[in-house]
Formats: sequence, C-alpha cells, structure tokens
Amino acid sequence: MKIFAMIVSKELLSFLRSIGLVLVVLYSFTADVYIAGSGIQIKPRNVVVGYVDATGGGVSQKILSKLHQPEFRPPVMFLSQKALSDAIFNKEVMVGLVFDDDFEKNYRSGKKAQINLLLDATAASQSLTTLIYLQNIIIDFQSMNFPLVLKSHKLFNQNADNHSFIALTELLSVITLLIVILTAIVFVKEKEDGTWDIMLLTPVNPKIIILAKSFSQVLIVMAGVVLSLGFVIFGAFDVPLNGSFWAFMLLTFFYSISSAGIGLFVAAVSKNVMQVAQLSIIIMMPLIFLSGAWTPVYAMHPVFQTLSLFSPLRYYIEGTESIFFRGTEFIDLWPYFSGVLILGTLLYLYGFRKIGKLF
Amino acid sequence: MSLLEVKNIRVSYKKRLGIDNASLEANSGEIIGFIGADGAGKSSLMHSIAGVIRFEGEVVYDGIAYHSPKEAEQVKPFIGLMPQGIGLVLYNTLSVGEHLEFFADIRNVKKDEKFQAYKEKLLHMAGLSAFIDREAGKLSGGMMQKLSLICTLLHRPKLLILDEPTTGVDPLSRLELWEILDSIRKEEGTVILVSTAYMQEASKMDKIFLFDEGEIIAQGTNKELIDSIRPYVYEEVTCKEECLSFNKRTYSLKPLHVNRAEPTLEGLFFVNALKKKKLLPQVVIAKRDKEIAIPPVVMQAYGITKRFGSFTANDHVDIELKRGEILGLLGANGAGKTTFIKMLLGLYPIDEGELTLLEKVIKSGDDRQTLKSKIGYVSQHFALYNDMTVRENLIYFANMHQIPLKTALNRIEQYANELGFKEYMDELPTALPLGVNQRFSIAAALLHEPLVLFLDEPTSGVDTIARAQFWEILKKLKEQWNISILITTHYMSEAEYCDRVLLLKQGKKIADDTIENFYKTHPDAKSFEDIFLTYYKDVE
Repeated sequence: MKIFAMIVSKELLSFLRSIGLVLVVLYSFTADVYIAGSGIQIKPRNVVVGYVDATGGGVSQKILSKLHQPEFRPPVMFLSQKALSDAIFNKEVMVGLVFDDDFEKNYRSGKKAQINLLLDATAASQSLTTLIYLQNIIIDFQSMNFPLVLKSHKLFNQNADNHSFIALTELLSVITLLIVILTAIVFVKEKEDGTWDIMLLTPVNPKIIILAKSFSQVLIVMAGVVLSLGFVIFGAFDVPLNGSFWAFMLLTFFYSISSAGIGLFVAAVSKNVMQVAQLSIIIMMPLIFLSGAWTPVYAMHPVFQTLSLFSPLRYYIEGTESIFFRGTEFIDLWPYFSGVLILGTLLYLYGFRKIGKLF
Repeated sequence: MSLLEVKNIRVSYKKRLGIDNASLEANSGEIIGFIGADGAGKSSLMHSIAGVIRFEGEVVYDGIAYHSPKEAEQVKPFIGLMPQGIGLVLYNTLSVGEHLEFFADIRNVKKDEKFQAYKEKLLHMAGLSAFIDREAGKLSGGMMQKLSLICTLLHRPKLLILDEPTTGVDPLSRLELWEILDSIRKEEGTVILVSTAYMQEASKMDKIFLFDEGEIIAQGTNKELIDSIRPYVYEEVTCKEECLSFNKRTYSLKPLHVNRAEPTLEGLFFVNALKKKKLLPQVVIAKRDKEIAIPPVVMQAYGITKRFGSFTANDHVDIELKRGEILGLLGANGAGKTTFIKMLLGLYPIDEGELTLLEKVIKSGDDRQTLKSKIGYVSQHFALYNDMTVRENLIYFANMHQIPLKTALNRIEQYANELGFKEYMDELPTALPLGVNQRFSIAAALLHEPLVLFLDEPTSGVDTIARAQFWEILKKLKEQWNISILITTHYMSEAEYCDRVLLLKQGKKIADDTIENFYKTHPDAKSFEDIFLTYYKDVE
C-alpha cells in the first residue's frame, strides 16, 4: 500500500513537472470544452438578409420588419435580382427575399401571393433554420381562422439551448481521449527513457505498479473534470444539474478506469509517445462516433446501433445526460452504471493482462 | 601554406558551448586525430569543417575560404564526411554492390573503367569483395563501418572527415579500417580528420588534438604530447593533495620523491584536470550496514542462447561469476553483451540453457522475484527519471526496494558524500555531467545493498578521468562489500581493471580467463588490445 502511494505520488510529480502535458490537459478541460460549447451554432445569428422590393413597400416592409436582431441583421436592399444573386454568390448575403411587383396586388386581392426566397445552402443548417423562422413569421402574419393552437413544453432543457449539450459531450470526449493518452504515456515514457528495465527489476509486484500508474492518471483526469465542471460547464454555460453530483463523479471514475484499460493496451503495443498519439486517435474515434456523442444512436444504421452497445462511452453519455438534464434518481441509473462497469472491467482486465505480459 | 586551415572556430548551441577557439592546420596526406569524451566538441568541430552546421570563424580549404554552410557548398565535392554511429549512412535493405552504385550516383561519379578498378580496389581493401550481394542490414558492425568508409571514399575526396568510425567496432575491423585510411592517404594524398574514443589509436595519427569540454587542451604528435607531461608522472604512491593515482601511476604537479614512470597519452587528461583543479571528488566506500553471507559462486550459466528470428544474439555462452570478482564482458557493438546481461536479469526470456543465480535455479519469472532485492543494475546510458531531481530519484528507488525511510535517507546522504555528488542532489539528471550521472546511477543501484551488480556499458562516452575514477569505485566496492560485479564494455583496454574477462564475438564466447593467465599465455603482447586481437584472428 505504501508502495502504491509512492508510485502514485511519483507519477503525479512527474506529471506536474512536464509543463507541456499540464498545459495540454488544462487546455482540453477548459478552453477546448468552452470553444466546442460556444462555437458550434445551429440557431441563426447575425444572418444577413438582402431583398429586392418591386412593390413599393407596404406588406413587404411589414414582413421585413419582423426580421430583427440578434437572429438577423437589418435587411439590405438591392435594386435588382441580379445584384442580389451576385451578393449571395459572393457570400455577402445568406438569405435573399424577392418581392415581385404583383406581390402586393395579389395579396390584397386575396389571390396567392408569392415571395421568392434565395438561400445559400452551403451554410446548410443556418439557412434552413432561417427558412423555418421565415415560415413562422409568415404564419404569424396570416390571421388564420383555425381553432387550433400549438402550445409547446420544452423538457429537460428549458431554453432548448444546445451549448450545454455540446459542451458536456465535448467534456466526455476529452475525458476519454486524455485518460487513454495519459495512461499510455506514463508507461511508454519509461520505455523511451530506458527506465523500463529498471522498473522491472525493482522487487515490487508488477500488478501494483500497473494499478498505481493507471490510478494516478485517473486522479489527474478527475481533477480536470472538477475544473471543467466548475469553470466551463457550470461557470460559463450555466448547465443545470438536476441529479446528484456525486453520482456523476462516481460514474466518471468508473468510466475513467475503463478508458485507462484502453490506455494500457495502447501502452503495451506502442514503442514511443508518437505511436501512442496515433494509436489512441485511431482507437478512440470509432468509440466516440459509436457512442452517440455526435449523432443520436437511434439515427444510426442498425449495424452501428448494435455496435454502439459495446462502447462504454455510450452508457457514460446517456448516464451523464440523465443525471444532468433528467435528474434521474441514483437507483434508476443502474443501466448506465452496469454498462460502464461491465465494459470497463473487461477493457481494464484486457489492458492489464496485455501490459502485464511485458513485466 | 597548408591545404586545410581552420581558424578560431566556435560553435554554440542553445544551452551549451560546442567548441570554442579551435584552430588547426593540416597538410596533404596527414592523419589528424581528435581524442576526447562525448560532448567534448569533436563532432562540432568536424561538422563545422565539413560545412554542415553554422559556425563562427573561418575554414580555408585549398585557398577557398568559407564561413557558413552556404559558402561551403563550393568545397563539398572535395569533402567526404562519415558521421558518428555504426551504419548510419547505410540502408539496411540495399546490398553492398547497390550501395556503391548509389553513392557513386549521388556524387555524380563517372562510371568508367578507372572507377570500376578503384571500386574493386576499395572492396578488396575492405574485405567485402565476397559480400557484394549481401544486404547491409545483415553485415556485422565492423563490416558496416568498412562499407560506410568505402562509400565515403568513392568520389575520391581530398578531405576526409570521419567521426568516431571505430567506436564499438571489433579490434580486427578497427585495424583494417586504419589500414584503409593509411593506404588512402598515401595513394590519394587525402587529408584525414578522424576522431576516436580509443587512446591506443593515437599512435596511428600524425598529429593529435585532445578535446575537453569544448576546448582543445593539447596538440602535437603522440611523442610530443607524452613528453609534455613527463615531469608530472610518477610510480604509484599514496599522496594527498594536488595529485591523483591511477593505473599504477601517480600524477602530481608538485615534485614527489619517487621514481618517474613512463607516461601515457591518457595521462594528459589527468594532468590537465590537475592544472585546472576540476577533479571529481575522491570516493570512499564504507562497509555494508550488515554483513551478509554470499555464496562462493554467485552466478552460473550454461549454454545460454538467445535468438531473434533467424539471428542468434547469444550462442551457447557459459559463464561463472564468483564472489567478490569483477568480471568484464568485452566485445564490439552487436557482439551480444547487452542481450546477455538482459537475459541474466530476466528482461529477456532465455531460449536455451541453464541459469543459477545465488544458488537458485531460475526456471520462471517467479524464481526471480525474491532475488530482485539482491541484484543491482545500471543500464546503458544511465536511465533515470529525468523529471525528478537526483534526491527524488534516489528516494523513489529506495522506496521501491522497501527500505525504511530513515535508513534510506541516511544511506542516500552517505553515498552522496562518498561518491561526491552531494552538490548535485537537487538538480535534474539531464543537467548533470555524464560522469556525475554515472556515479549517481551506481548509487541508485547500490541503495538496497545488493550482492551482485550488473553494469551495462557504464563507461561508454564518459571522459577519461571519470572513467578512471569509476573503476576506482568498483574496485573499492569489491574490497569493502565483497560484491561481485559483471560489467560490459567495448573498451578493450578496460580489461586491465577486471579480475577476469570474457570476450564475446558475434554472440559466441571466444575467450574466458583471468587477467594473469592472459598475460602468461601471451608474454609478448604489449596490451590487451593485442591479446584480444589474437583471439579474434583465431576465430576468423
């Protein structure tokens, strides 16, 4: 036990002494999560709208006045459809509205009035969401005599804000990647520096060495998680935490151990830190894709849906979302806990035996 | 005017000085030798002259002056450079013949009859005529170096720069390399700059430059240099101040009342250190904390064999290590020294053979577990944790060996004093001179008071004085602790300091005897170099 503590503290010391590694970890847990959370925008924001109005104002201007900030910039007028098309082509304008000269006449006389909409579909999600906005504006504009009202209730994420989702998902991916790389590096650095042999020759049970070394890296990542939660998740994005904080920390701990298992495997087969970096990415990418981090699992091909059952990250993400947004009771988290634990134990045992063979 | 003139070369790297204030002159057909430890500035000077690194100062070759790699382009057709490291310029999957074609092509050599004749001659000199079709990766270290050399010679350079071509090469190939150099300079009038780690090669050089810490400390012919320190060299005697003894000689700046002894070239380094007062502190070794019964035979191995694929690294090697004995495992690079030590330690599985360590037959890894606390090991290049200070490293090792903290701290303090690295305790290993690193590595290996010590090339690249003092440490350890030491080295001359020597060649044991017996059976040999040469020739 004393040896265990000794090795852990030695690894923590070496970690703190390698400034490069500390910076990478700090960056990943703070700036990286923040950038991911705030950078990926699907809602329209500051969309530049251009228009050509041949009607002389009236209804057209009323419609345009509904496009306001922060979603839209004040609409810009163009004199001809040609000028508008050019502006869209040059990416100066994302959405173009064309009111033909018979638009107002048709509208007033109750005929079918038509607005032509030009969308820069290369900014696919932004322009399509803009389209939905415009449709809503037009629906609002028509006074429909239809006895049906749509009253929506947004559950779990009242602001329907995707910062919190993306930031949280990014944090979970960062945890995965870092624990794999850090665990692999503590072993591979010894191989690189030639201290591996000396480590083998100390009369310490190899099992303790492996356990202590991987545990030290789990500790580093857990500390990073706390930092990230405090400064970014709760601090910058104000993500609600409806469930238990400790349930999340416990789930994270178990998950880190399972990822450390992958790290052990990477360490066993790599000769230097360069190979660790390459191999970790190759192994982690499918795990992250299959986990439902970026695409919901139900939207995947059935084969991938089945495969995703084997990604511990899937259970971790679903469990975390349950804790944060749904506020699930601890006892009801058992499917996620058991998923992470079972896969984690298997992965860790595999990695443990793989690296154990080198001792 | 000389063919090559080098004026006040200075090379500095980010944190340290490569070489400062180096000047030399060389004439056609001369062999200029550079001798010194790793990091003494030999390579920096060579690379400057070859025009491959940036430097301050001026080099004039045949009236063409250059001050930078760019300006040096015009002399490159006349220069041949062979960098340090065995087989570094070779491609493992190309054959000997293909190498010659390739090097002729990149140097744009016209392949006429004259070239063919010259190529044949080089191949013959290098003894590679029979191996034209063999891949370079399958050649021995010595053959690789000979191939590298003739590849460098193909375009008939007038200035040949060879960076440690003989280090780690077997003695026979080393002789042959020198023979090639000798005939080339005579026939082609080439200026040859060659650096070496072996003092014994000095006699083959026309002019010698001794390097120490980025400085040329002495220059002249072998004889001049040896004569220059004649007044300071005495027969071995105990003395206290401003003097030091090594290898049956005592060096002192103050006159001593004993007979003078015949100086050697390495004595120059001792005298230089005395003059500059920058000796590493002397060492003392105290008795063990408690005496331990050690069996008379510490290790026995029969028919130890290791294969890597089709390559046999160790072929049925027998070895016996007795109590209180320093056993030297000598051989060139690739002779199987490190593989052998790693098998003894259990770092590689043994493919064939029997091993008994401290009276315990080793069958599996579990048999070793209890022995680990009785074995000390210093690996090649003194591998230690570079992000922890010397003190932290030692405390860590003590803990790994489960030495009670109080005992451990006392012992660390004691070794730091005895081995003289106390002032470096709070520095990182990367910031230390190689000689200090060497001492502190051995302290790390001694913390748990082992019964047997395995040292893998602990003296390689270390400067003469640190090496001499390191051997002193080993000798005292043996006397005080009755410890057995197995040490590998590629310096044949270091056999002198061992009790018994085992010579390896290409994985096979070719000689195994005590030092006295070696001298008895070879009465007319001048040095160990000569004795081993006879064994190498016999096996050939």
